[in-house]
Order: sequence, then C-alpha cells, then structure tokens
Amino acid sequence: MTLLLQTALLSRRRLLETLRQPIWVFMGLSVPLLYLALFAPLLTSLAGGPGFPAGGVLDVFVPGILALMAFGAGMGAGWIVIGELDTGVIERLRVTPASRLALVLGTVVRDVITFAVPAVIVVCVALPFGFRARWGGLGLLVVLMALLTAACSAGSAALGITLQQIGSLAAVVTGLQLPLTLLSGVLLPLSLGPGWLQGLGHANPMYYAVEAARQLAAGTVTTETVALGFGVTLAVALLAIWWATRAYRRAME
Amino acid sequence: MSGPGDGGAVRVTGLRKAFASKRGRVEALRGVDLSIDAGQIHGFLGPNGAGKTTTLRILTTLLRADSGEAIVAGIDVRRHPGAVRRRIGYVGQLGGADREATGRENLLLQGRLYGMSSADTERRAGELIELLELGAFSQRIVRSYSGGQRRRLEVALGIVHRPEVLFLDEPTLGLDPQNRANLWEQLRGLRDAGTTILLTTHYLDEADQLSDRLAIIDHGRVVAEGTPLELKQRYPAEVIVTPKLGAAELGPLATDLGRDPMVGAVQTDGEALRIQVPDPTAGLAAVIDRLRASGVGVLRVSLQEPSLDDVFLHETGRSLRDAGDPATAEAA
Repeated sequence: MTLLLQTALLSRRRLLETLRQPIWVFMGLSVPLLYLALFAPLLTSLAGGPGFPAGGVLDVFVPGILALMAFGAGMGAGWIVIGELDTGVIERLRVTPASRLALVLGTVVRDVITFAVPAVIVVCVALPFGFRARWGGLGLLVVLMALLTAACSAGSAALGITLQQIGSLAAVVTGLQLPLTLLSGVLLPLSLGPGWLQGLGHANPMYYAVEAARQLAAGTVTTETVALGFGVTLAVALLAIWWATRAYRRAME
Repeated sequence: MSGPGDGGAVRVTGLRKAFASKRGRVEALRGVDLSIDAGQIHGFLGPNGAGKTTTLRILTTLLRADSGEAIVAGIDVRRHPGAVRRRIGYVGQLGGADREATGRENLLLQGRLYGMSSADTERRAGELIELLELGAFSQRIVRSYSGGQRRRLEVALGIVHRPEVLFLDEPTLGLDPQNRANLWEQLRGLRDAGTTILLTTHYLDEADQLSDRLAIIDHGRVVAEGTPLELKQRYPAEVIVTPKLGAAELGPLATDLGRDPMVGAVQTDGEALRIQVPDPTAGLAAVIDRLRASGVGVLRVSLQEPSLDDVFLHETGRSLRDAGDPATAEAA
C-alpha cells in the first residue's frame, strides 16, 4: 500500500514537471507525426514487396514508430536523474523513508504515460491514411510498448545514476540507439536484410518486442512471436527496474 | 528523554571509512568518536576534506561505514536505517529542493513521503511557511528563488516531519551576512523547541557563535571537543605591543617582560612583541606596568583573545585558513 501511494505521489510530481515544460509534450508528439508525414510516403512504393503486405505499408510502419516513441519516452529518464543528483534531490529523497522502488517507479509511470498519450494520438492520425486497426491487437500492442518504455526508463535512470555525467550518458545512449533500433527493424523490417543481419537482430531484446508488435498490429494475438515479445520485454523491464532500484539505494556512495 | 552528557542524540565510536580514488585508498575517517546530547546545536568544524561530510552522510544513512558504531536517536544506523530515517532530518550541501515545483508542493510531497496524512501535511506546510517566512514565494517555482529563499525552503523540508535530530551540511554556504544571521536565529529557535541540531561548517564565526558544543575534526579524527569557550580557554590570550624602539632594541625588552610571573612566552613579530598572558586581565596590567617602569614609549597595545583558529592551530599544527587539501575534498 505504501509502495502504491508513494509511487502515485512521485509520478504525480513527475507529471506536473512534464506539463510545466510543454515543449517536451510538443516534441514528443511532433517527431512521430513527422515520421508518418515524411517517411511513410517513401515506403509506399515498397508495398507488396518483400516484408510489406500489399497495400499495408502503415501496418508495418506504425508499430515501428510506436517502438521508437517508447524508446524515446523512456531514455530521457537518465538526464533528469543526473540533474537531480546535481541539485541534491536524490540525496534528499534517499534520507526520507520512501521506498527506493517507488523512487524508480515514479519516473517509470510518468514515462509510460508520456509514451501512451501521444501513441494513441499517432494511431488515430494514422487511421485515415490507411492504417488498419485491429482493436484487440492494438490494445495489447500499446501494453507491450508501455513495457518497453518502462525498461528504457528504468535502464536510463540506472545508467544516469551510475555514470553521473550528462556527457557520458549521452555517449552511451546515442551509442546504443542505432544498434538497438536498427537491429530491431523499427523503420524497415529486418527480413529485408541478409541472414547475418537477422542473426544479429536476435541478440537484441528490442527485436522481439518489435516483431511481436507487428503481429499484434496485424491482429494475430496468440502466436509464439507475441508470447516471446512479451516474455523478453517483461524480463528486461524487471531487470532494469531492479538495477535502477539498486542504483538508487547506493547513489553517490 | 535524555539527560546531559549521555550522548542521547548521537553516539559514534571508532567510525572508519576509506574510499578508493585514483591515487589509491583515501582514508576519509580514521576513527571518529562523538557524543551529542539532545537539545543542543552541535557544530562540526574542520577544513574541506577533514571528514565532516563523510561523517554526516554515514549518520544520515546515505553511506555505510567500514567499521565502528553509530547510534542516532537511540537507533543503530547500520542495522535499522529505515527507523533512523523516520527520526532524522537532513539538509545536504546541495539542498535538494525540487527546482521545477513550487515551495509548497515540495513541502506537501515531503510530508507525504514521511507517511503523514494529507490533512496533517497541509497543516504542517502552513506552519513551516510561517516559521521560515516563505509566505511571499511559497507558490512560486523554486527555480526562481534567491539563494537565501531556497535555503529556508530546504531547512523547512528537513523538518516537515518534526525530526528529533536535524543534520545540516554547511547550511550557510554562499549566503549573504543578513541571510546567515536570519538562518542562525531560526536554527536557535528550533533548538529551543527541542530539536537537536548537528551542523558542519568551516566558518570560524559560525562555529563559535551558533554552536552550544563543538567538535574540531581534521584528517578524519576529532581532535578537540567542548563548548567554544572551553576550547578557547585552553590557550593563552596575547598582548600585542608595538614599542617606539628599533628592531634591535626589542630583544632586551622582551627578556624583561618575560621575567614577569603573569607573562608566558614572548615573541617578536616584526616591530611588535606578542606576549602570551594565561590570565588576560592580570597579564595586560602587568605588561603595562613593566612598560611604564622601563620608560619605553608605546605606539599601540592590544589584547587578542584566543580564537577557534588558534585552537585549530594548536591541535593540528596548521591554521584552519590554510588547511584543506582540494585533492581529498569531500566529493564523496
């Protein structure tokens, strides 16, 4: 109960912080919309080709955009955490009896919300352009991507506390961004690539989430790919939350 | 709850802590012993890198000691950090107020995190806004506060839950004289209302005027402990005389003065003589009598009471102003 109450209090504080910086809300929404407006047209000629069902470019592309949004919404956490190390906020919170897990979850919940709200908007915008929504699958898809956001958020927070420097965090996160996103096939399906590239993709946890997301968007729910996607993403999220909680417990020792 | 002399608020024995650094192992604490009674302001004076912050961080559960025992508000810090957290308040050097929230929001969240009810927290926030005079800006975003305003809010955050012991790390660092004086008054008020306060400082005047008792720490050890007056009285005052004499003639005068039973060691210091007098009043009178008897004219006479810097100098062989090694500064 205490954990729930403290998580609610801390995520409310985080949400207020986000709402007071509307530029982030705006950017969080404009980037995926620009992808839809500018990148999707590039793909239309691929419709019916390898990796794309006939007439369904957006069916493949929208799940990828949602995965990118989840990655972006979560990975910002580390920057905020470093700011809070520098201003002593984390130190102050660590001297209160607040649960260290709640300190992590407060940020995770905010990031999940700042992923989910624009995600729903992006889906709605994509509908008139030919994205075919299968509602059951779509619901699960958002849940899966919320888990991915949680994994990124907790992972980024743990990295932030561990590295303590904005510069190091930026280097690590941008270094991870390309292999993680490209090798999960967010923009173009990995099935387009040669065998060795697909093999590399299997070493990337995000690959399983994106594969599952594409099947969910296509309306197939009870497949092994979907189960694997949920399994891997949930495991990574739990691991990241454990790591971040441990980092909060020992911050600045 | 606790009588005098029993270390009711904080009892520390043999606290040791070492950090790994690029230059190898740095021993931040080499066996700190400390006993603080409830209901007083206890100062912790020392140069940067002396171990003040490390000690405070161990007492506030932020850091684990390598060895030694620390009891805060009757509870073992290592064994029951959670129980200690509920009984203490802490205002770190960095402050820790949430910059993107209002002062009031900061107070309300802090109270709830300590498990206070929403109504109780509201009431307490109102009290603190009045007590620390935050009213004019409590509804503004903290980022817009001046240094003094933010410091007051941070002290308020440290005492939302009415802690038994309040820890403050360099509370007046960077404050202008007026804000410092205000904060001192407010801390005295808290003490009078029953809160035990442990604060670190490297300001001599702050240690001297604000502390009921004082521990001087250097190189990870407590080198002296007592009330500021007790500590200073361990060392003689000095009469400083500048006679109308050339430097060559100072020697014989110094020898003459040194024969007086009320006078301790006599040293020349440029054109002046520094004459130690264990009893300041009698010593000053004796020096003036001797000067008058010898017929030497005098340009200037002053009496210098021992300061905490003298205490520090005697205990450590260095002046506090020169001490402090930036390489071992307390980043930890």
